Amino acid sequence: MSIPGLHLTQTGREDFLLEPLRGLDISDHEKLVESIVERLLGARASRLYYDLSTQPIIDPVYYNWLNKLARTVQAINVKMVCVQMQPTAAFALVQFAHEVPAFETALNISDWQNGRLLTPRPAKR
Amino acid sequence: MTQKKDLSEKVTALFSLKIGNVSAELEEPGRKFFCRDNRLMDDDEVADLSGEFMNLMIGLLAAQDPTSQVSPQFHALEMFFTGLSKKILVRGGQVEDMVRYAQQLQQTLIGVLEKDSGIAFTQSRSVLQYFSTLFNELIMAVFRAYLEEKEEALVAQEQELRETATPITEIWDGVLTLPIIGTLDSSRTMLVMEALLNRIAKDHASAVVMDLTGVKNIDSQVSHHLIQMVRAVQLMGSQAIITGIRPEIARALISLNINMSDITTRASLSDGLKEAFRSLGIHVSQKAD
Repeated sequence: MSIPGLHLTQTGREDFLLEPLRGLDISDHEKLVESIVERLLGARASRLYYDLSTQPIIDPVYYNWLNKLARTVQAINVKMVCVQMQPTAAFALVQFAHEVPAFETALNISDWQNGRLLTPRPAKR
Repeated sequence: MTQKKDLSEKVTALFSLKIGNVSAELEEPGRKFFCRDNRLMDDDEVADLSGEFMNLMIGLLAAQDPTSQVSPQFHALEMFFTGLSKKILVRGGQVEDMVRYAQQLQQTLIGVLEKDSGIAFTQSRSVLQYFSTLFNELIMAVFRAYLEEKEEALVAQEQELRETATPITEIWDGVLTLPIIGTLDSSRTMLVMEALLNRIAKDHASAVVMDLTGVKNIDSQVSHHLIQMVRAVQLMGSQAIITGIRPEIARALISLNINMSDITTRASLSDGLKEAFRSLGIHVSQKAD
């Protein structure tokens, strides 16, 4: 039950890692979100790490897709964390996104886990 | 030959002149201004220089229209002066030297041509006028070269200042500090932001302390960029802490109606560092005696 355009791997008991592939087609996002949610539900996941290391630029379309995915998985009590956002992508994103995104961000997975254990981050709206 | 009708007899004679090798006599002005006390060139160089000038001058006088200022021959002569002035300026010469050299060269050239051909060029107003027009243009080329040189130096200095004014330091494993000093404008904020984001990715920095103590004043445009910078740092997954916000800057930030509640601020750089250490779980304590 692989999802076209991305790899979704279980990396821990409740953790999933999503790696988008080059051929990811986000124009069909409803179907994609559905398949991802189905996988996460089946494994009772609580965290979804979205790997952005291969995404050099984030445009409004891609940002909407990330936000939509984050809000949908929130509905099934899964926290989405975007990891390894590229400098160029962050630079582009702040040019148009003026609100705080629906997902959290971290340098990488281990950094986020360490940060979690030490300090509860301020809740983001 | 399509020469203008109103050229005087002597100018026509000048243009059809067969000039022998007189470059040795043209070396005198070069020696006077470049060799004597400021030692910008040695004798061989002046000899080469005069030879080249002589050839270019002969080329110009033999051109189809020697009075034209768009002919390739004229352009070559102009380029020669541009190159020469750059060389002199790079070696520490003054632009005055170049201008005096050009003026002296003009006098010497007319004298030399008169001697060489036996025609009284110095008595002809039209010949003198022709040369003074020509050399005026060449002196303009000298000034253009001078201005270009100065411009380049300014740009280079500005670049250097930009780089040194925003030192990003890794003060602890995973903690970057960025003291921002001077006036923040939009282009500089963009540069700083780019450098900072790349640094975060390279060093895997978990926290960035941005110190605004040295910032003179910021306008609304720049405070907007500053907030963008903080957001971008947060998006990369790093913690951004702003320190040293002076009252004026606080007022500028608030007047933008920006939601500051999710931005960590501390009074001083040291407080900011403590906050960064605390969030990373680093304990710094005084050694017990």
